[in-house]
Amino acid sequence: MSYDLVVGDPRTVARVINMAHRFQCRATRVDSTSTETVTTAHFEFAGDAMQLDRLRAQIDRIVQFEKIFVS
Amino acid sequence: MNPATTPRPRTGGDAVLEALEREGVDVIFGYPGGTIMPFYDALYGHPMRHILVRHEAGAAFAAGGYARTSGRVGVCCATSGPGATNLVTGLVDAMMDSIPVVAITGQVRTTLMGTDGFQEADVCAITQCTTKASILVTDPGQIYTKVREAFALARSGRPGPVLVDIPTDVLKAPYVPEQNPPRKVNDVRPVASAESIKAAANAIRNAHRPIAIAGGGVRDPKAVKAFREFCALLGLPHTTTICGLGASDPNDVHGLGMLGMHGTKASNLTVHTADVVLAFGMRFDDRVTGKPDRFVKGATVVHNDIDATEFNKIIPTDIPLHGDAADTIKAIIAELKTGHVPRFDDWATQAKALGGPLPSDVAKDGHLSATDFLDQLFAVLPAKAIVSTDVGQHQMWTAQRFKPNAPRDFCTSAGLGSMGFGFPAAIGACFANPGRPVFAICGDGGFQMTMPELATVKRYQVPVKIVLIDNRNLGMVRQWQELFYDERYSATNLSDNPDFCTIASAYDIESFRISGPEDAPSMLEAFLAYSGPALLHVSCYPDELVWPMIPAGGVVEDLMESKGVNA
Repeated sequence: MSYDLVVGDPRTVARVINMAHRFQCRATRVDSTSTETVTTAHFEFAGDAMQLDRLRAQIDRIVQFEKIFVS
Repeated sequence: MNPATTPRPRTGGDAVLEALEREGVDVIFGYPGGTIMPFYDALYGHPMRHILVRHEAGAAFAAGGYARTSGRVGVCCATSGPGATNLVTGLVDAMMDSIPVVAITGQVRTTLMGTDGFQEADVCAITQCTTKASILVTDPGQIYTKVREAFALARSGRPGPVLVDIPTDVLKAPYVPEQNPPRKVNDVRPVASAESIKAAANAIRNAHRPIAIAGGGVRDPKAVKAFREFCALLGLPHTTTICGLGASDPNDVHGLGMLGMHGTKASNLTVHTADVVLAFGMRFDDRVTGKPDRFVKGATVVHNDIDATEFNKIIPTDIPLHGDAADTIKAIIAELKTGHVPRFDDWATQAKALGGPLPSDVAKDGHLSATDFLDQLFAVLPAKAIVSTDVGQHQMWTAQRFKPNAPRDFCTSAGLGSMGFGFPAAIGACFANPGRPVFAICGDGGFQMTMPELATVKRYQVPVKIVLIDNRNLGMVRQWQELFYDERYSATNLSDNPDFCTIASAYDIESFRISGPEDAPSMLEAFLAYSGPALLHVSCYPDELVWPMIPAGGVVEDLMESKGVNA
């Protein structure tokens, strides 16, 4: 499974990797770039299909947390 | 010269306090320490109410109890390092049960961060996976904004805890007022689509044996009202999870009681037999489902939640309804009313008949049965009482017997099952609900985890009534040892418990003692009549078990009504 992330908090990358392992999946590739305000990351995950679905849903949820603010 | 009124330079600590005021905070539960001193300095002489607990865990649980029983955001604060880490269990607890809590923690000064400084812990990293967000503020100009954002995030969508960590030099820095204009919250709540509402209504119209389940997402009074109206409109049998207790109208004859491991036989059998399951604001916890691939097998699952991650997480969802429970239920009612509105009274009567009275062990050797005592207590509990429980057998016995008028009248650590929660949570409930009677029903194990909060009760004369169910054992663990570990009672014996009435007396708190069945009526009467904080010590039969029970990972056919007896 691939996931492209755009968030403000660079620590989210670590959070996602931790979460993948908790869901018994593996982050097989992580490319990430951060500026002062934006972090982008591309992930490749391996694991059971159902667990990957759960992982995707949870990452979506974290990303949503950041979207409740508008400048 | 009065130090409280002497002018002093305003700091980041004042910015935190102002942000809390702007959020409508009326009480903070906390414990001071080195790095958070600038905040406490701002509090000195300030009208904001601060409740000094005796352990930071008590602060987090009290904030949780405040939030659970009021719907408002609970606030706790602590210093860096051990102060912050002691909050963590309460924050995880709030995350598991979707409770809005904001924690403010001090942090070592910015230049010391990452050097293993005194009382340094990376609490943002520690809590990153167990809160909605953990926010480190390194710019004094951002304090106001970040604290207010924390509240917005804690309340938004599916509520939960947020931690704001502020280094001491940032707290000490000169005050910077709120940005103008502040960032706006974009809390657009999801609304279930018209198609999905139509599909849900059609599933109900085509159902023969439907059941509704209310979870913690039905805590809000608007959701409770809608759920009750929905069940009454259809004559629908319904049940609740432990977090949804109180969502059902206590006078609705079609209410089947609690669902799950220690839920009623009627609710578990009805869910098992149902052809349409209408689940509102619940997450199919393993204590509810048992073996998930056998749970609601073959039924059409209509699942409503504000958090889309819950769909298909445990149980395959046939009709997802992504939205707030109140709005979604109202929309289904409106859709049903555009056509035929079915009634399920006959099925509901059959469902009720699947159950029966709660099974109970018989007390032996002149000891008092805890369940008999709780039946007596709930029969005379004041009408507007709020009940908080700790975790274990007494929690399940209470959940089975207490009939709250609303979900916020019952406060329990459901998802995390944190022992030590019940007493400080009841303290928080007292501050959130002045004038209402609050009862903390605790076991002897859990009470000892946060017992020092008796000092908090004494200092602030918190009018909490503590009911201590003492069976001199870690009862629930012992129950599992008896049933599943060949009666090998490893580390569950608490026969050397202290004299709890003497302990209460040391804190100058009134206590009452029930030593056997004959004492119960008079002592209970005296305890309830006493105005002010009090502890009722109830010495109970140690071998009583919680029935019914579906063993962990089991199925409804495994439901036991007593030892070795399947239903």
